Amino acid sequence: MPPWIQVFALELAVTATALVVLVCDALRPCRARTLAWFSVAALATALCTSFVVEPAGTAPHGVYAAGPWSLFFERLFLAAGILGVLGSLDWLESRVARRPAEYLFLMLMSLVGAMLLAGARDWVLLVVAFELMGIPLYVLAAYAKLDGPPGEPQLAAEAALKLYVTGAASTALTLFGLALVIGAGGSSSLAGLASPDVAPLASAGMLLVLAGFGFKLGAVPFHMWVPDTYQGAPTPFVAFLSVAPKAGGLVALVVVLLHGWPRHHELWAPALGVIAAASMVVGNLFALPQRDARRLLGYSGVAQMGYVLVAVCARSESGVAMALFFLVSYVFTNFGVFLVLHAAAENSGGHALDQITGLSRRSPWLGAALLLFVLSLAGIPFAVGFWAKLFVLLAAFEAGLVGLVVTGVVLSVVALFYYLSVARSTFMADGRSAEPVRAGLALRAAISLCLAAVLGLGLWPGPLLAQARLAAAAFGGGP
Amino acid sequence: MPSEPATSLLIFLAVAQATAAGMLVAARLLRVRARAPARLKDTTYECGETATGVTWVRFHARYYVVALFFVIFDLEAVFLLPWALGARDLGPGGFVAVAGFVGVLMLGWFWALRKGSLRWQ
Repeated sequence: MPPWIQVFALELAVTATALVVLVCDALRPCRARTLAWFSVAALATALCTSFVVEPAGTAPHGVYAAGPWSLFFERLFLAAGILGVLGSLDWLESRVARRPAEYLFLMLMSLVGAMLLAGARDWVLLVVAFELMGIPLYVLAAYAKLDGPPGEPQLAAEAALKLYVTGAASTALTLFGLALVIGAGGSSSLAGLASPDVAPLASAGMLLVLAGFGFKLGAVPFHMWVPDTYQGAPTPFVAFLSVAPKAGGLVALVVVLLHGWPRHHELWAPALGVIAAASMVVGNLFALPQRDARRLLGYSGVAQMGYVLVAVCARSESGVAMALFFLVSYVFTNFGVFLVLHAAAENSGGHALDQITGLSRRSPWLGAALLLFVLSLAGIPFAVGFWAKLFVLLAAFEAGLVGLVVTGVVLSVVALFYYLSVARSTFMADGRSAEPVRAGLALRAAISLCLAAVLGLGLWPGPLLAQARLAAAAFGGGP
Repeated sequence: MPSEPATSLLIFLAVAQATAAGMLVAARLLRVRARAPARLKDTTYECGETATGVTWVRFHARYYVVALFFVIFDLEAVFLLPWALGARDLGPGGFVAVAGFVGVLMLGWFWALRKGSLRWQ
């Protein structure tokens, strides 16, 4: 074993888990429950180990750099993986019991791709990791082709096709842009484009790469797939899709822009500013008329990505730190809101806003959790989303991006309207049925973890903020 | 004055476009023209062989699995060949790396086998 292999220790652990799950099921078909709890245990062990032994160092030829920066994201993705497996467990067991191992394998491999992104310092590794993260998602989106919630049209195939076509198009854009950039720089290293004034072709390449990552982020104008895919794909998977690949897309964007091209900000910063502002405006305004909770959350996710891009626009170390804080807040909050929605829809047969009415009567605990999550998304104090929005806008203000800050603040007020309409549905008394909502142990555990994170970090954001600052300092964000 | 790679790329693009357009124009000038729209001109094989059936038939999904198996082994060859060329210089480390790669591929193959992908029914 070469000594540098330890920089990939966490990724290798997750890969091994995925292979074990796949092979065990092939040898002797296992129950979904067994495989899923095994995966959760392995991911939790890896997460805990990462606090004891911190991988650090670089891989040969400087293609990968492990340190506090990559570790921050590896931990975030491991947490997202635990939530993803826990959230899918009951659904896997009851609905798609025939092929649980493949579902878990694909989710874990997608996770490995996401974990590799933060430390990648070479275009080849970055693109391979990005695709490793993206390709399993196409399969997962179509996983419940005919097993969607009863009483709703079966849209999973359509959802997967839309995700696949836009994903493939975005990859093509990225690769073509990369060909131009690498051609101009003469090196596949991320920082290979050294000279600040570049040929027009290379700048066109940069914009193409930006557009390619924009698709994965679901930022305007590359957001078309988001609401349709969220509506059609299985909800426990959408919970994962709405956070992990988005965080992955964002970390890739940060690494590329702030590590690779910090000296070319005159080229990309205006484009990024326009994308951020457009995402906030379009996401928030289009969420207003939505009647399906998943479509609403899809547009809300587009808007949230706008906010985090504002922090990247600041091009400062504190901006990067605030983007990290925002991402953590977004991961737990959005996961929580989708999982509560999943629990509610499993019992009431649909995701429309008027089908979750009276949720608080049927299950006071789930109703309260949903209220807290939407308040956090809206940015109400004492939920973690408040600090996230505040820090992001402060960082942008420090960097002098007054226009973006004003846009963000104004649209936060608009966002409050539709987030509170979700809460209103939850607490409206005349629900369709009065039966209590049943949710399995794993789903309840996942929701509790999200709830604990949203409340805990909301009341006590200090330690996470310190970690985010540490990671950003290690990254050396900004020119 | 555009930079050097941009100039060469533009020249390349222009030559490529001109070649493609030139071929189409030359074909149009040189081709043999049928006097009237003949029924034979519309057949698949103009040599007289009659085509049977339509091309829009459905192929059985098992051919898709066979194609996937082909990709597994094809991909293996792509990576094994460069290693074979440099095997002496790479030494035992290279062998272990390649064995790991083949091992992971074999796991996938084993999985597909166990899931019944090679059963022809």
